[in-house]
Amino acid sequence: MAKTILAVDDSSSLRQMVAFSLKAAGYQVVEAVDGQDGFDKAKLQAVDLVLTDQNMPRMDGLALIKLLRGLPAYQKTPILMLTTESSDEMKSKGRAAGANGWLVKPFDPQRLIEVVKKVIG
Amino acid sequence: MTRKKILGSHMKRLLSGVSDHGRRHLSEVETDLLQTELLLEEAVDRLTSSFMAIHQAVDARQQGINQLLKGDPVSAEETARLGDMSGEIGQHVNSAITSMQFQDMTSQLIDRTLKRVTGLRAFLGTLGEHGEGIAAESGSEEVVDLLGKVSMALAIQSLELKSALRKSVNQQHLDSGDIELF
Repeated sequence: MAKTILAVDDSSSLRQMVAFSLKAAGYQVVEAVDGQDGFDKAKLQAVDLVLTDQNMPRMDGLALIKLLRGLPAYQKTPILMLTTESSDEMKSKGRAAGANGWLVKPFDPQRLIEVVKKVIG
Repeated sequence: MTRKKILGSHMKRLLSGVSDHGRRHLSEVETDLLQTELLLEEAVDRLTSSFMAIHQAVDARQQGINQLLKGDPVSAEETARLGDMSGEIGQHVNSAITSMQFQDMTSQLIDRTLKRVTGLRAFLGTLGEHGEGIAAESGSEEVVDLLGKVSMALAIQSLELKSALRKSVNQQHLDSGDIELF
């Protein structure tokens, strides 16, 4: 059965490109428009991996990770940040919040798939 | 200090504050716009390249298919080349996907510029509102008091604007970014 990935980004074009790349590699993708939407969808449906942007309206990526890590179902689920942010300070904050990896935009679809495969198979 | 000197000192502080604030924010606007221009130019160049490469690959593939449809003999080399074309097209599509992400970055830069322009307009508005409070017959003490208030209001607005505009996009090119697994 195909693994499911929750892609959270406020940019619709970015979500489309992430979804296109992941679906082409055989994954199922659930899209969310910001952290709050991502949190709501994650509660409704268990996913195998969360791929989230940082800067979004209503709820940012770090806040989403902290909330997800508070849910028993998401304590071990891999969460990757996919963001334009590249500073060590932000990466440290991500790590402290519970992120398992940091991908700086723009992403290369092939490299994205390689990382996802490494993390969830 | 005489009243005249106090007034002069307040005026100097206000004018220098307005000048510093304006120059600092306009300089950031200039940097963000130049960065946006660089990213847009590179995106257009790369997307044009990807588009042309995809077109050529699809065209070559179509010629191979036409040859097959006509029943012409196809060499093993040509068959292999047809098979490789999917991979070739995939690579150009991947490259286009990377370049198309310019929109995500430039929209953040433009959003930051717009917020800065809005902040500058509010800043100038505050200056105007306080200026209207100065009557032609106001004494120097009243003017000093008002100048102190406007300087304080502007300093607060300047700090608020600065803290709300942290830079989140530092990319100057559209090369794919770093990946780090924790």
